[in-house]
Formats: sequence, C-alpha cells, structure tokens
Amino acid sequence: MADKENEKKKKKSGGVVGFFRDFTYGMATHGMARHALKTRSSMEHLFILITMGDMLGIPILPPYYSLRLLPHVVPQITTWKRRMLREKDFVESMY
Amino acid sequence: MSFAEVFEKYPNRRYVMYGGKGGLGKTTFSAATAYYLAKKGKRVLVFSVDPQASLSDIFERDIFGQGNIEIMPNLFAREVDADRRIQDYQEEIRQKILSMYGMKKIPEEIESYIKASSAEPAMEESAIFDAVVDIVVKGDFDYYIYDLVPLGHALYYLSMAAVYDAWLDKITGLREQMREYDQAIATMKREDGTEEDEIYNELMYIKDRIGASSKIMTDTDKTAFFFVLTPEEMTVVDTEKAAKLFAKYNVPLAGYVVNRVIDRNLLKENIPAYLKNRIEMQAGALDLIDNTFGTSVLSRVPEFDSEIKGLDTIRDLAEVMFEEKFS
Repeated sequence: MADKENEKKKKKSGGVVGFFRDFTYGMATHGMARHALKTRSSMEHLFILITMGDMLGIPILPPYYSLRLLPHVVPQITTWKRRMLREKDFVESMY
Repeated sequence: MSFAEVFEKYPNRRYVMYGGKGGLGKTTFSAATAYYLAKKGKRVLVFSVDPQASLSDIFERDIFGQGNIEIMPNLFAREVDADRRIQDYQEEIRQKILSMYGMKKIPEEIESYIKASSAEPAMEESAIFDAVVDIVVKGDFDYYIYDLVPLGHALYYLSMAAVYDAWLDKITGLREQMREYDQAIATMKREDGTEEDEIYNELMYIKDRIGASSKIMTDTDKTAFFFVLTPEEMTVVDTEKAAKLFAKYNVPLAGYVVNRVIDRNLLKENIPAYLKNRIEMQAGALDLIDNTFGTSVLSRVPEFDSEIKGLDTIRDLAEVMFEEKFS
C-alpha cells in the first residue's frame, strides 16, 4: 500500500514535466475534483441513510440483507451519523 | 386428474408445496407425498422452516436443527432452526467486520445495530426464505417438498420480495452513479482505475437471493402448489380467497386436496345425530367445493380413525391419496 502511494507520488511530482502537469491540474481541475469528491461523499451518506436508516430510527431495507452491507460501511458510520445529526433537518443535508 | 397423474405428467415440478390454513394437514400431506415419491425411487427432501414445525412429530424423531435426516430409503427430512440461523449469520457479519478492519472488538454502535436487527419482524421471514434458497440451490434431491408456514407468511414474503426488488434497483442505480463520480475524480486526478465496488457486488448478490427465493414459489415449470382444505363452508371461502391472492403473485396452483371427509356410508348405520349432522354439513360443503374448484380437486381423503403419525399411518394415507398399494 505504502509503496503504491510512493510510486504515485513519484509519477506525479517528477521533473519539469511533472511540475507543469501538477501546476495545470491545480489551476484547472483541482476545484472540480474537490467538488466532485464532496458530491461523492454526500452520495455515500445518502446511501448509508437509505440502507442503514434504522440507526437513526428510519427502517427501510430488511435487516437481514442490510447486515450484509454493514461491514463495508463501518468506517463511514461515525462521520455519517455526525453529519446527519448535526444538520437542523437531516433531510436538507442529503444534497 | 389424480395426484399420481399430476406427478407423472409434470416430472419437472420438483418443488412441491402444500398451503392452507393452520391445522388442516399440510404437514401430513407433505409427509405422504414424500413417502409416495420415495417409494417411486425418487430422492426426496421434505423440509420445514416453521419454528413450531411438526415434521419431528409426524416422523416420530427429533430432527430439529440437525440437517438432512434419513427417515427411510430415499426419504430425507429437515427442520431448519431459524433462530440459530439468524444468530450464526450475525456472528458471520461480526467476524467479517473484525477481519476486514483488523479490529479486536466491534464498535459499540455497530454492535447494538447488529443486536437490534434480530428484533425486526422481517428478519425472520427473510432468514427463512434465504435458508430455503440454500437448501434448494444445492439440487441434490429429485424433489423438494416444502412444508410451508401458514399462508400469511408466504404471501407476505412474496409481496415483500416485489417491493425489495424495485427498491434494490433504485439503490443500485445510486451506487452506479457514485461509481461514475469515482471514475471522474480518478480521471481528473490522473489516477489509475478505481477499485471494485464491494457494496455494488453485495447489492447484486442480494437481488439474486431475493429473486431466487420468490422464484421457488412462482416458477411455473418447477413448482407445484397444492391447497389443503376441509369440507367446511368457511374454509372453502377462505381457500378461494387465498387462491386468488396466490394467483396474483403468479404462484402456479396445481390442485386441491380435501381432508377429513367423513364416510357417507355411515348414514346407513345407526349413528348419533351429531355425526349425521356433520355428514350432512360436509355434503353441502363438498358440493360447494366441486362447484368452486371443479376438476382441480385431486383427492378426497377420509377422516382417519387415528392420528397420522409414524411411517405406517403415513403409508395408509399415501395409499388413499395416490390410489396405490405400497408394501
């Protein structure tokens, strides 16, 4: 995992070409990527809401099958709960 | 048509089910059908997922939660312990979480979610129907005779399955949209391809399982669903209603069997008024049955003078149902 990261870094930040590539990325697409990431994480939270809603008192998927999904969302549960409950009205927070 | 003809004419109908109100003899007919088919040289599994299952009673052996138990050559019986299955399943999820994240202990809120899930009413139905899929997909028997829980459950599940299916399509769509975002982000950041979405795969698996379990009850080629009724007006009316509901969910109805018919010849003898009245009442109901279900009535089974219990009485019943002598 760490090796992979290093390789990625090397690829990205090597030499003059690398510098310009990073520079143009920062200028042109970084904002877009950030926005996309934000939308993506909202969707993730929406997804957890409709599958694990029980945790906030909204039962939707039969628990037998939603349990299958549970292991995959464990790391996101805490941030999801915080985000959903932080908003005055969590329905607003979906988008 | 007779029972035997139904089985001869449709050899592909390998999933056999008896439905009807509680206490009319579903388990009894399941056992007798299993007996008949086993005698014909077919490998048969008769199974039940009812927590108050009576296969143990009828075969006079404790088989609850013990897997496939051989009752006689070619005839196996099984009673699924739904509670234990749910517990095992929850444990499996816990282990998966622990190993996926190298945790020593399940986080409090996750644990309480897992615990609370077993209290949900739909949990048991889903677990039961999932267990049925497990049993049937193995395919190591010629016939599977499913001793159904009373009608409500099956109907509830079928309607639930239809709702879940539509719902799964929706969230799968959302998941696909998320994946597109992942790919777009990866392209913008000039990273190599994105990882496989495990959740998407799980959703597909769930969809398959729900589809497979409702298919077992609705497969017109492979399923034969029989209704059990008794000659009483109320039962006839209820059965007709239930049959209509089942037809709505495309359950292939294969025929009706009338249980507990008192021998009309008794009227010639000196019998108490009570019995006479019952016979007259049954005659009225039998007419109603013939008018309502016509030639779909496959057999009229008499009231036996003792309880059907143990292989000897099961054989007696099978001989009446299938009009054949077994040694």
